[in-house]
Amino acid sequence: MSPLAKRIVAELEQSPRQFHDVVEDHMDVPWPDFLKAWGEIRAACILGRDDDGAYMIAPADTAV
Amino acid sequence: MKKSFRDFVQALDDGGELLRVNKPVDMRRASALMSQSDKAVMFENIADYPDWRVAGALITSRARLAIALDCGAGEIAARFEERAARPIDPVIVDDGPCQEVVLQGDDVDLSALPFPIMHLFDGGPYLSGTFVVSKDPEYGRNSGSYRMMYRTPRETGIDLVSPSDMRFYYQRALDQGKPLEIAVAVGVHPYEMLAASYKAPIRTDELSIAGGLHGAPVPLVKCKTVDLEVPADAEFVLEGELLPIGWTADEGPFGEFSQISGDVKWNPVFRVKCITRRRDPIFYQLQMPWENDWLAAPVTEAAGLQALRIASVEPVDIRAPVGSCGYWSLIASIKKRPGEGKNALLALLSVAEVKLAIVTDDDIDIHDPDDLDWAMTFRVQADQDLIVVSGARAKHIDPSVKSWELGKGGLPTTAKLGIDATIPEGVPKQLYRRIRTYAADDVRLEDFL
Ligand SMILES: Cc1cc2nc3c(=O)[nH]c(=O)nc-3n(C[C@H](O)[C@H](O)[C@H](O)COP(=O)(O)O)c2cc1C
Repeated sequence: MSPLAKRIVAELEQSPRQFHDVVEDHMDVPWPDFLKAWGEIRAACILGRDDDGAYMIAPADTAV
Repeated sequence: MKKSFRDFVQALDDGGELLRVNKPVDMRRASALMSQSDKAVMFENIADYPDWRVAGALITSRARLAIALDCGAGEIAARFEERAARPIDPVIVDDGPCQEVVLQGDDVDLSALPFPIMHLFDGGPYLSGTFVVSKDPEYGRNSGSYRMMYRTPRETGIDLVSPSDMRFYYQRALDQGKPLEIAVAVGVHPYEMLAASYKAPIRTDELSIAGGLHGAPVPLVKCKTVDLEVPADAEFVLEGELLPIGWTADEGPFGEFSQISGDVKWNPVFRVKCITRRRDPIFYQLQMPWENDWLAAPVTEAAGLQALRIASVEPVDIRAPVGSCGYWSLIASIKKRPGEGKNALLALLSVAEVKLAIVTDDDIDIHDPDDLDWAMTFRVQADQDLIVVSGARAKHIDPSVKSWELGKGGLPTTAKLGIDATIPEGVPKQLYRRIRTYAADDVRLEDFL
């Protein structure tokens, strides 16, 4: 994973976050780089969603 | 001649309805900027996307819808109804601008497209203004508009929850364990968008409806990697397939056409095999919910006109207000004969999702809220002029139908309300003589300034 994707994963491990919060925390990176990093995380199948639609890092059996 | 997305943008510009923004815009701020404009917007300069421009908020008023349909603001429903009834089949051409650049294999990269993030609780960046083509061996070609959520450089989500022809096609492919090929054209003329959102019978090719609306065939090019055809003048096209995984991947929330934030849904995934585009593409960022709702209005209005005629009532004007998302209410003025206020209500309430109908006489300007209030105040007796129908079909998306109380797969119902705001039978018309200014046409204020 790219350093940016790793940073986002570490943040999601702390607590569930809405997509817009993840975006706002990385406004310093160009949007295409953010999209690529988000794609890496998606492709790793480690994300989960809570009832509010926030993203989190989920155990393997509930990941989406 | 068939018009393109660019022709429409140019017509907006010519009509003084387009704001061109030259400073660089970050796609994380594009939606926020667009929502502050009372005109359609063209971002000429996109940060980190040098090849692209972005246009949006194109149809967020009746005046701009009229430009799209190339008619007067009062003629929209009639224009749609008349032209949609005379379909013209599309023609296949050898090449088109949507394939000036072809990206396949490792060059397929959706992060190279300026996906916007649009609403606060959206589950990701979205492609909102799509024209999605699919085919079924038995039922033929189909087009609809479906939102796409960015997932990875090669995958998007798609909202395929509601019943639709494409959902049906996907289910049939899934039953055989096969993917469904689709092609997603973006940046097509509003006529194509209107045809895509039109609930045509399953064997009807919506591209023929689009041809009818244009008054000319829609030229199509064959896709490069799937057995489908797309409008040749589109700005860009994503070719690929809906994976045979069923409704298993998270998608959403996304700002819904009901003007509500929406929930996470479970949906299939679209895998992109090829991207084709113009050399200088314009990304269409359809501003939800407004553009979706304005696109719905002519279709609902035309259905209302038809229902009135079938009920032998003569319509004068009709409006599907954007406040009820272009779907849920209809206001019509009619040339009334005794009893027809009620007949008209029964007809209008039979239209798809319509749950509120108001009927006035033809002296009322149904586009003027004050005029409408006046009619509803002085021509309505609540114990005689309201019709309530209980237990009619409803959509889950309306929170007031409490669909969460139903079991899985349960379908909600709704009550429908009709308000007859025509002059009641037995009340003399002269009692409604409106105040008119004395000598109104004899002087002009500007001559005194
Ligand atoms: C801008 C826009 C976006 C839409 N997005 C969706 C969507 O994501 N999912 C859906 O089921 N319908 C969506 N619709 C409605 C469908 O396009 C519409 O029901 C259409 O008739 C479906 O076509 P089909 O039944 O021929 O496949 C959208 C309509 C518009 C105008």
